[in-house]
Amino acid sequence: MRFVVLVKQVPDTTEVEVDEETGTIIREGVPSALNAFDEFALNVAVDLKEELEEEVEIIALTMGPPQADEALNKCLAIGADKAVLLTDKVFAGADTWATAVTLGRALKNIGEVDMVFAGQEASDGNTAQVGPEVAAHQGIPQVTYVAEIEEFDPDEGNIICKKETDEGHVMMKTDIPVLLACMPKPSFEPKIPNVKEIMKAKKKPTEEWGYEDLGGDEEDYGLDGSESVVMETYSPPPKGEGIKVDDKPEVAVDRLVEFLDEEGIL
Amino acid sequence: MAETDLSDERNLTEEQKLFKESISDWGERNLPLERVIEMNREGHPFPEDIVEGLADLGVIMGTVPEEHGGMGLDWTDQAVIAEQIGYIDPSIATAAGFMAVETGWGFTINRHCNEEVREKFVKPAINGNKFIGIATTEPGGGSDVAGFESTAEKDGDEWILNGEKTFISGVEECKKMGGGYWVNVRTGPQVEGAPYKNMTSFFVPIDSDGLEPQEPYDDAGRGSLSTSGFKMNDVRVPDEYMLGEEGKGFYYTMEGFDNARVMIGASAVGVTRRILEEAADYIKERETFGNPLAKYEGIQFPFVERYTEMEASDLMVKRTTEMQNTRYDEAGWKEKKEKPQTYKPTEIAKWISMIKYKIPHLAKDTADDAMHWLGAAGYSSEYIFETAWRGVMSYCVGAEGGANIQKIVIGRETLGKDYVPYK
Repeated sequence: MRFVVLVKQVPDTTEVEVDEETGTIIREGVPSALNAFDEFALNVAVDLKEELEEEVEIIALTMGPPQADEALNKCLAIGADKAVLLTDKVFAGADTWATAVTLGRALKNIGEVDMVFAGQEASDGNTAQVGPEVAAHQGIPQVTYVAEIEEFDPDEGNIICKKETDEGHVMMKTDIPVLLACMPKPSFEPKIPNVKEIMKAKKKPTEEWGYEDLGGDEEDYGLDGSESVVMETYSPPPKGEGIKVDDKPEVAVDRLVEFLDEEGIL
Repeated sequence: MAETDLSDERNLTEEQKLFKESISDWGERNLPLERVIEMNREGHPFPEDIVEGLADLGVIMGTVPEEHGGMGLDWTDQAVIAEQIGYIDPSIATAAGFMAVETGWGFTINRHCNEEVREKFVKPAINGNKFIGIATTEPGGGSDVAGFESTAEKDGDEWILNGEKTFISGVEECKKMGGGYWVNVRTGPQVEGAPYKNMTSFFVPIDSDGLEPQEPYDDAGRGSLSTSGFKMNDVRVPDEYMLGEEGKGFYYTMEGFDNARVMIGASAVGVTRRILEEAADYIKERETFGNPLAKYEGIQFPFVERYTEMEASDLMVKRTTEMQNTRYDEAGWKEKKEKPQTYKPTEIAKWISMIKYKIPHLAKDTADDAMHWLGAAGYSSEYIFETAWRGVMSYCVGAEGGANIQKIVIGRETLGKDYVPYK
């Protein structure tokens, strides 16, 4: 069996700067980290692999500049068996559509894939589009907001997932191959790789694929292949300080009502 | 975790960055500052979950070769780990117990012990199931390493040990977990002018008949790691428990001190960084006379002076561990680096002594400064500074060698052997 986990390296800061000309995020010289949603997706994949009796290969796949291999190293330490970095100048400036095209072609290159795991969204762009777009390109079903895998039957080739909704959750059953866009609960504690796993990760295979490895026309990728045009990108201004009522519930409720009354909300 | 981030990872390898990240994540989950402060206030021995956690992380004795159950890390890797351990536990109890004592001395025990000691004690200690340590200091003195009284006499294929060791780290933990100590004894007469002769090292299990652990001391700091001692009354240990060769204990002991001291220096860099980050959060926020404290030169300048010293110390640790890596490559423990440089052990010892003399004092002085910057808040155990100050002081006054002893080593290597005040 083969699982592929789509991951992204994101700026590890809230002070994101934007290139005024292209509208894209400036990543050079900015500390970066593995997107927390993707880390959760990888944890889900690793946990499932550990439960299964059959052999499973987990491939961590990302598109980004050469330094994105840092995120892949972490994936290998957490439990991925192999990593693929899609890096080429041709891929630069991709929107979610072009990113999904690039990842989709890489998935085709990988060969047979039973499940694709993705984070629900990335903490820099927060579009939540790439996972579903990849599924659409591949022509496979998708489940979004996956909190956990309830049941997986490899023989029957289907899976039941717990999908979070605004009202609670629903259980969804689907055939594989499938793409699961995973959404961590606030209580989620990611696996912490130990020294042995980190050292072992050094010996695991990492491949770099460029435009020529994926094929197609140059215009399909990067800025040229993007369907959307970024008009403006900005960091939202801080909301300002809130008011925290830290007291016994009966006192706190009274003060809250008083405040809402003063503000003319009630 | 402090909001201010003073770490600079640009000179780290990808693996070292991940070591740091894993230890930080683990610390945030299992050893937040509130718990460090509480453990020091309560003064109870090292909690089991911490030992288990460190062992699961694979950070105890990481320099022991893989074929002996370790991780085969080099000293630069292990120093990065020690620094981050100091960062998450600025009381330095974790660093003291598991970086200096177990890692520095454990590595050296493993180099000189036989297979039985390795299987029975070293490997379980790496896995967090036993505690191994070092017992050199005696009631008569500690800085004069060769000037001790304990003896061993041969009896068939055993040795009978007598004497007393004191101010020993981790005896309570060792009693609880099982394990033992590196113990120096005299196996022949004291030689006038050459007291290091006839000094022999043994590994002595804590549960040996005739070994009497003493009551723990009430230390100023390092509250979650015990300090006490033990008496040896006709303690019998087999021949196989001798470390290395008879009469060469002094050289092995100096090697062990080097390996432990470098870990302490690295940990103290982490302690300093944590203190500066926690202090920075406060001085940037707290206002007086209409400005944040950080705007006043009286606070900002000593802050940046300590920061500069910390970065310089970090570079010293890096340079020293790179020298140390070549030492053990040459001893055949690991593959040689592409371009090994050769350093005499005494030359490496000079750098290690500079680290040991300088960096714990830097951490202690930084904690002292931070308490001044914060005033009454800094003096209270609401903040980490007084806990850190009390903990790191142990490495200024003596543990793993007092500051003046380090200066003698540095003087010997800079001015020459003719100017060594004591031999």
